[in-house]
Amino acid sequence: MTDPVIEVRDLSFRYPGAARDTLRNVNLTIERGDFVAIVGGNGSGKTTLCKTFNGLVPHYWSGEFAGSVEVSGQDTWDSSVARLSWTVGYVYQDFQNQLVRPTVRDEVGFGPINFGFDDHAERTQEALDAVGIAALADRFVWQLSGGQAHRVALASVLALRPEVIVVDEPVAELDPVAAHDVYERLTALNRERGITVITIEHHAEFIAQYARSVVLMSDGAPVWHLPAREALSRSGELAEHGIPAPQVVDALRRAGIGEVARGVPEAAALLREAGLEVRGHAAPVARSHAAEAKVVAEARGVTHGFRSVSGEVEPVIRDLDLTLHAGERVAFIGGNGAGKTTLMRLLAGIQVPRSGDVFLSGDNTRSKRAGRLAERAAYLYQHPERMFLKPSVRDDVELFPRSRRDPATDEIVTRILDRVRLTEFADRDGRTLSGGQQRRSTLAIGLAMRPDLLLLDEPTASLDVASRDDVIAMLTELSAQISCAVIATHDMHLVAEWATRVVALEGGRIVADCAPRELFADDRLLEAARLVPPQVVLLGKQLGMDPLPLTVDEFEACLTRIGASA
Amino acid sequence: MSVARKQRDVLSVEWIKLELIRTAYSTRGGLFAAMDPRAVLGWYLMLALAPWFTHNLTTIGCLFLLGALSVAFARVGPLVLGLFVIGLGFELVYLVLAATVFGGDFTTFVALTEVTAKIGVVSLASLAAFVSLDPEKLSDALLALRCPPTIAFAVSYGYRMMPILVEEFSTVMEGYRLRQLPPARPGLFGVRHLAHWATLVVKAFYPIFLNTAKSVRTTVEALEARGFTFATIDGRGRRIRIAGLRYGWLDLGVVLATAALIAASFAAGETWPIHRA
Repeated sequence: MTDPVIEVRDLSFRYPGAARDTLRNVNLTIERGDFVAIVGGNGSGKTTLCKTFNGLVPHYWSGEFAGSVEVSGQDTWDSSVARLSWTVGYVYQDFQNQLVRPTVRDEVGFGPINFGFDDHAERTQEALDAVGIAALADRFVWQLSGGQAHRVALASVLALRPEVIVVDEPVAELDPVAAHDVYERLTALNRERGITVITIEHHAEFIAQYARSVVLMSDGAPVWHLPAREALSRSGELAEHGIPAPQVVDALRRAGIGEVARGVPEAAALLREAGLEVRGHAAPVARSHAAEAKVVAEARGVTHGFRSVSGEVEPVIRDLDLTLHAGERVAFIGGNGAGKTTLMRLLAGIQVPRSGDVFLSGDNTRSKRAGRLAERAAYLYQHPERMFLKPSVRDDVELFPRSRRDPATDEIVTRILDRVRLTEFADRDGRTLSGGQQRRSTLAIGLAMRPDLLLLDEPTASLDVASRDDVIAMLTELSAQISCAVIATHDMHLVAEWATRVVALEGGRIVADCAPRELFADDRLLEAARLVPPQVVLLGKQLGMDPLPLTVDEFEACLTRIGASA
Repeated sequence: MSVARKQRDVLSVEWIKLELIRTAYSTRGGLFAAMDPRAVLGWYLMLALAPWFTHNLTTIGCLFLLGALSVAFARVGPLVLGLFVIGLGFELVYLVLAATVFGGDFTTFVALTEVTAKIGVVSLASLAAFVSLDPEKLSDALLALRCPPTIAFAVSYGYRMMPILVEEFSTVMEGYRLRQLPPARPGLFGVRHLAHWATLVVKAFYPIFLNTAKSVRTTVEALEARGFTFATIDGRGRRIRIAGLRYGWLDLGVVLATAALIAASFAAGETWPIHRA
């Protein structure tokens, strides 16, 4: 009955020069046609394990290799990366770097042509159709959005007609809608073509919704390999390894229901069965008094755009008005290309708009150089490594105050590094730190600029859940030091837990400007801005809660109140 | 107060990036872009070699005109053309200076100009040819002409890296611009600003290369997995790649017309010879 496509026996692997084994005595069997999620904290060996499937370990990374890996009946030790790639396709976390050819069709056809398949044209077309990008075939790869680029990377491995596809953390670099889209495609490939899908994933919601079995990795070896439902019921163990339970599972547990739900409707049904129907109990929502507070930044009639390769100006921001006040925590949301980043860079004075004006603490950004405006507004890039200019974190943090001859530089830098808990890493190169540490380093760089307005682009993207919560907590702590903070994000958990004001952008215009709770209540708006609210908000909505709960704590509080009044 | 800032579309880093992409991928079209890449390489060799067989200034002048004509047909963009003109201009200024300082006279200048003009012809031909060949065509042509596949791929991948490097450069320079305060006073002829800027350009190299190197690791693994090394050993990939190349009437026409015009240049040189004394 069993038909294993991958069999790993007694596998240990150590990278050349490493002090300890990255994989330790791994035994694992993956059935043909399964949809497996590999989970585990940073550094647990997930990626290395997956690289043994297509022979990159040990043929490309030649370290100390013991044990055996059989893929579709073939021992990887006796094969080669090229040959194994016909069986196992690999989509990287940084899939943009995986694209090596200029146009989409070239990219997808690259594998089949290299291997000299005479049916390369059909394979290319078939792969393009399978992921729905036939219309993009003649585009240049750098013109693609993140979601499109990921599909191209997927199509390029599909063109070799693999039996197994490995996808490394698709959620990290994509907006949530695009990530769901990737998972839907993978599910279809899994069902229709029987392709075995292996994903590396931090987010329990995705695992719950799509995976059929789960492998938990810890310290270089699988702890267990279980069917998804059973795996998710071990939420305590998952949380220990940096995978907090999905909010619905957590919410059910707090409501005293022991069962596991794989999605919001299922959880709502379980709660209804348990007689926990909730009726509308409107509580007064505190109105913000932001309108009277000091104005930190203001955009008046701003229009901006960029020139494309063909020469015309492509508008990104259209006739936009916005005022940011002291004391606000603002989240800019909207799909890729909605204009979030451009608006932030205009507000920071890095660029000036084509028409209209931006005022920063009362001064028009046209009247001062960007370097001077940086003393009032700091913009932090989405990719932290783009901010590392110096060979150590400390040098990077002190660059700004030191060059301005601030006599208190040493004191400021020491205090800030301590504040973001990076003192012990201060002399390391920022590029060698983990994702969460890198993000904290950029926060330190921003804080050392001592701005009134701090703008952060996607501060929680590509972080595992534990580092993400850490960054959210730190942002909340820091709010006292900065007059106004703005983030651009796809992460609705961050919006729900941190923001006091949400500005939704679509096509360079503001389509909503309200409190998070109001945003999540408006279905039409959510649809238009391509947003998926956190599960607990959806659950509250299905149960008819008013006001909507933004966190599991709020959800629980609402339930107890109902319970008490009943 | 300084001049009010505004959005610039020309002579900005963004513009350079776009110009490089337009140039590399011949998005402007043009006569040679429609030709078979092997014929373009042949055409290029013809025009690039011709000036070295003569010292006759008339012939060289005609060839220079032919080169200029090709550039017009190839629709070369303003960035590379501008660089060419600036380069040639500086060269001339330098020659006049060198000739004067080292006690030469007009004949020294003419002698040096001859070489400059020859190099000018080669440059013009290169502009016309390589602006018209996108990297894919160029690498296919190289493959067809029995060049090692690694070189053919390096050409194609080198072009792919270019926008990435420019992007990385502009990010790093922006970081410095925002975080490092420029000198308070410009100094004599803005010399301090110039020195500041030059230091930054040098400092930018370290972060640019470290950041790029990190992403290249994925690229190399992906290449391996998709049979790049396999194709360098196995010949079937090459066969498929070059199967798409066909010579057409246009190729023949352009090559013959150019050959005729080169011959005419030499004939003109015979009829009205100008030699330096």
